[in-house]
Amino acid sequence: MNNIIEVKDFVKKYGNFTAVDHVSFEVEEGSVFSFLGPNGAGKSTTINTLCTIFDKTSGTLLIDGKDVTHKKDEVRSVIGVVFQDPTLDNKMTVYENMKMHCYFYNVPKGEIEQRIDFALGIVDLKEWKKSMVSSLSGGMKRRVEIARSLLHYPKVLFLDEPTTGLDPQTRAHIWDYIVKLQKEKNITIFLTTHYMDEAEISNKGAIMDAGKIVALDTPHGLTKQYTRDKAHIRTTDMLGLETKLMERGFHYKKREEYYSVVVDDLPALMDLISERKETITELEIKKGTLNDVFLEITGKDIRE
Amino acid sequence: MRIVGALWFRNLKIFARNRVQLVFTIIMPFFFLYVFSAVFKTPGIDDPVNFMLAGITITTVFQTALTIASSTIDDIVSGFMKEVLVSPVKRIQIAAGQLLSAATISTLQGIIILIIGYFIGLQFSNLITPFLAIISMVAVGLVFSGLGLFLAALVKNSQTFQIVGAAITMPLTFLSGAYLPLSLLPSILKGFAYFNPMTYTTAFFRTIILEKTSLTAEQLVKNELAFKIGNFIITPPISMLIVLIFGVIFMMLATIVFTKVDFSKINRSNSKENDIFQ
Repeated sequence: MNNIIEVKDFVKKYGNFTAVDHVSFEVEEGSVFSFLGPNGAGKSTTINTLCTIFDKTSGTLLIDGKDVTHKKDEVRSVIGVVFQDPTLDNKMTVYENMKMHCYFYNVPKGEIEQRIDFALGIVDLKEWKKSMVSSLSGGMKRRVEIARSLLHYPKVLFLDEPTTGLDPQTRAHIWDYIVKLQKEKNITIFLTTHYMDEAEISNKGAIMDAGKIVALDTPHGLTKQYTRDKAHIRTTDMLGLETKLMERGFHYKKREEYYSVVVDDLPALMDLISERKETITELEIKKGTLNDVFLEITGKDIRE
Repeated sequence: MRIVGALWFRNLKIFARNRVQLVFTIIMPFFFLYVFSAVFKTPGIDDPVNFMLAGITITTVFQTALTIASSTIDDIVSGFMKEVLVSPVKRIQIAAGQLLSAATISTLQGIIILIIGYFIGLQFSNLITPFLAIISMVAVGLVFSGLGLFLAALVKNSQTFQIVGAAITMPLTFLSGAYLPLSLLPSILKGFAYFNPMTYTTAFFRTIILEKTSLTAEQLVKNELAFKIGNFIITPPISMLIVLIFGVIFMMLATIVFTKVDFSKINRSNSKENDIFQ
């Protein structure tokens, strides 16, 4: 696999303030890469620089081997961007919006109709082709934007919080479309999101804080490294369980109705549970989530 | 070129889809004709219908061009410009599409007035005159849509643009001789009028409509189609040149400002308010 995005020693300064401080990372072609971080961490600056909107202070940023500062137009023709704020032309129909996009990206004239139908098919909006954009719901507009960003067959698709403000059902749908795309078209997806469960589908995630990348791994690797599984145990004999937990040196916390035990040594915990199986009423193993990772690393909740 | 054409067509479509705007664009000239019909009867002006119609037509073209160019602000606020920003499109192409569509709409409006004028007594003796008039309207439309785009890119806010637009169109219209003869103005205002591009626009357009290209300089000055500043006489062709120079300046300013505007940092408070209901 080759790297479609390569960032080396990227620095961006605003006056004396360093927004991004010597950041380096790579994204493999055809993968989903999620970019996480609290507000003000520098992730928007990074994404905007990759999308050729901002200029870097120093470092190298390459997309598909092309420098984002010196070959802006070449980079622009291989990327698709779905911004956080809607960028559709409200006064035009869905079809007209898409056609305009084809003109912007020099899609060959003979292919325009077929590509529009294909892209609208992916997001199930074929029957809305002739509707005015202003008459669509928020979720539909997002889908149109995603469809539109595919018209020029981008190699990398930047999605800046693509599902913010949408209802859970629409969010799930949009994710289905995105995953479908990535699988079928081998498009690299570069994503920022506030919903940690959405980042779980990515192949790799980077967590950014105060202008630096503080963690970079697969979601599984991240959770494994930064969180520990916890067992939530409910029992009829609270005191008895607590005594045993203390005796055997488990790390635990007493909650209102259950004990939360850190699972460092799974066999030992299983032994203890089986010894006391008559008194145990409920057992639940909690896997660490990316949200926990996030809290652990940045000390902030992502929704802040 | 395909992109400029597509943007030009888009802007025309958007204009045509806004029914209220469309209806009033057609109705507005009637108001002017009604209000100024009294002036038509004033004795002392040769060919009063042509004289007034030329003024009404060219001020309408000027005002429409200036206002229509401001639809750029809507595009900035709606986020459409941000899409353009990450596409391989050049900003100058966007600007060109905007200018051409504003010039087209204002010219069409000017043509409507001339057609109405035909029914109330506008007459040309030369067949070339209508074509010259249309070419002049397109040119004037481009010149002032350049000014409109420059102001729009500068203020970046529809409300502010309305105020700025009104503050500019009013003096430019009334200190141009289009409605009020310059000879009626006090000398200070007359001085201002000589710095007004609309003064020269009105003069050369009126010369075309009145078909007075063959008059002597002295006669032109008497008819307020030429201006005598000191010993120098600004004849209609020189007026046209002055307007074109203004045009080049406006276009340059517009493209410079338009290509420098940071669309990613536009305050989009209007759309943020709507988010509450989403």
